[in-house]
Amino acid sequence: MEVWNQLMLGFATAATPINLLWCLIGCAVGTAVGVLPGIGPAVAVAMLLPITTKVDATASMIFFAGIYYGAMYGGSTTSILLNTPGETGSMVTAMEGNKMAKSGRAGAALATAAIGSFVAGTIATVLVTLFAPMLANFAVRLGPPEYFMLMLLAFTTVSAVLGKSTLRGMVALFIGLAIGLIGMDQISGQARYTGGVSELLDGIEIVLVAVGLFAVAEALYAVLYEGKTAESQNKLSSVHMSKSDWKKSIPAWLRGTAIGFPFGTIPAGGTEIPTFLSYATEKKLAKDKSDFGTKGAIQGVAGPEAANNAAVTATLIPLLTLGIPTSNTAAILLGAFQSYGIQPGPQLFQTSGALVWALIASLYIGNVMLLVLNLPLVGMWVKLLKIPKPYLYAGILIFATVGVYGMRQSAFDLVLLYVIGVLGVVMRRFDFPTAPVVVGMILGPLAEAQLRNALSIGEGKWTVFLERPMSLTLIVVVLAVLVLPRAAKYWSSRSNRRIA
Amino acid sequence: MSSDTALNQKSTSKGQLLLGVGILVLGVAMVVGATMIPSDAGYAGVGPDFLPALVGAVLSLCGIFVIWEALSGGFRNMDAPNGADTGFWSGFAWMSAGLLANAALITTIGFILSCTLCFALAVRGLRTAELEKIGSFNGKQFIKDLLIGFAIAAPVYWMFTKLLAINLPGLTATGWI
Repeated sequence: MEVWNQLMLGFATAATPINLLWCLIGCAVGTAVGVLPGIGPAVAVAMLLPITTKVDATASMIFFAGIYYGAMYGGSTTSILLNTPGETGSMVTAMEGNKMAKSGRAGAALATAAIGSFVAGTIATVLVTLFAPMLANFAVRLGPPEYFMLMLLAFTTVSAVLGKSTLRGMVALFIGLAIGLIGMDQISGQARYTGGVSELLDGIEIVLVAVGLFAVAEALYAVLYEGKTAESQNKLSSVHMSKSDWKKSIPAWLRGTAIGFPFGTIPAGGTEIPTFLSYATEKKLAKDKSDFGTKGAIQGVAGPEAANNAAVTATLIPLLTLGIPTSNTAAILLGAFQSYGIQPGPQLFQTSGALVWALIASLYIGNVMLLVLNLPLVGMWVKLLKIPKPYLYAGILIFATVGVYGMRQSAFDLVLLYVIGVLGVVMRRFDFPTAPVVVGMILGPLAEAQLRNALSIGEGKWTVFLERPMSLTLIVVVLAVLVLPRAAKYWSSRSNRRIA
Repeated sequence: MSSDTALNQKSTSKGQLLLGVGILVLGVAMVVGATMIPSDAGYAGVGPDFLPALVGAVLSLCGIFVIWEALSGGFRNMDAPNGADTGFWSGFAWMSAGLLANAALITTIGFILSCTLCFALAVRGLRTAELEKIGSFNGKQFIKDLLIGFAIAAPVYWMFTKLLAINLPGLTATGWI
């Protein structure tokens, strides 16, 4: 019952007019960001991070969370109508959704995406409400060695397991770690890699790297390589689902939620895997497979969209209870907490209980707002797609300037922004993942501090990681994550060869 | 395979090789830099120079592997990049000019004018990229882009400075421009 009381207090905070307004603005900005190609929730939150200097913590966290899952709603609109996914989580939606729109069923696809997002988002929020405090209670017992191992696990999954190439993932992660090293060492106060430039003493802002890698790089890439790509837009039909649409959608939503939620809680970074898994499941379970890939199957939109939203909501569990971000946007949200001097972790529920519960309550409210924003008002968002591409990308650069300059008032940062933007173009051209850079940069300094604290506990002996049962278990998990997929691949190729 | 794609592959693998060398150089530089950080390990046994040395070493190792992949048939499991095969560099130059001019001018001419200029230069780059040729300079169009840039930058400036009290530089002390 304690959870219930806390949640009610959270609702009381979240439902004040000013916080409701922040939630609404966040949801609207998020939807717009999701609809617009070339800009995602991570970069939108990053660009708006300077507001943390003036707006109070609860309001801005409600605002940022609204942007985060609002973008998931908006992203589906773009992928259904344009076949260019607004953000990575909607890649699968684009496959079936676009086919449905081409055969005149855009409205049904939009409806199942929006209602599915609502169902999954709400169920996932209930699960967060129930499990986050439990995990926090457990996590209080973790010490520096365990934290270091958890972060190592996050590094391993984000670089070595996801993505197509372990090597390129590792390069990206270590570049992120290297960026994180620049500046003053937190423990000894020693300057590292500043090259005598005083601007670098405070380190490089997260905002700068995220905005450079995602927004500026996107604009530079567009001008370099994507000048001529023409897009055709599908016609919007009335947003309505037939009885058989409902019958096919409801089980797909529930299955998608069940698949998406666990993936959000583990450090597996992002929504690609659960959305693809959900799509594969729906395709396998469908009695009539003829619509898949031809006219577009509604289950193929409903399942992945639900999985997407469930995963996004679930990323709040490791973020709030362990302080470990499992997606780009969660990493930026961690940065937002840090700029208030709040370190998410097991103590967060005690030290900033009011904030956390208001944030969770705002998720319930935000989901309802987004359903309204996206179903009856979908036509309004579609108009955003009419903005000519040159104005869109050039406009993004103005907002990028606000975010980066507003954070530290340094023109030097704007030069660095350009450099990081060019780095992002190179990474994209050569198929390097960018998420490990952001995660490495944000988690790197935290992991280093935990490592040095752990070794202090162990009086300088590395065996401290082996002597503690939880830490030892985590080492085994890290090794399993590294070895098992490769072993499986090796055995399957061996048995294939034997058959051949 | 046409000679054109073969040529492309050659230039890609050259890029990959360069990238590998770059990573290796960065890694080695970091290891060298790490030796200059004093190691005051205290109780922990590892000091502020430990992680830099480790990161540098791993990056060097990654660089060597990237070079090896580039030399032995190119990167593994790689998706063909989106968009055109060759970059449209003059458009890139316009946008770069916009971004760097913004960095150089923002403190002197203020946020609004500096961003307006950056916007117009970037739009010019993107527009020539759409045509895939540089084209003659259209003064009328440029002025129109400047006006649109101003119409975006000015409200953004007012919103962030007046409503959210974020510090952005102005040309005058009035707070309006």
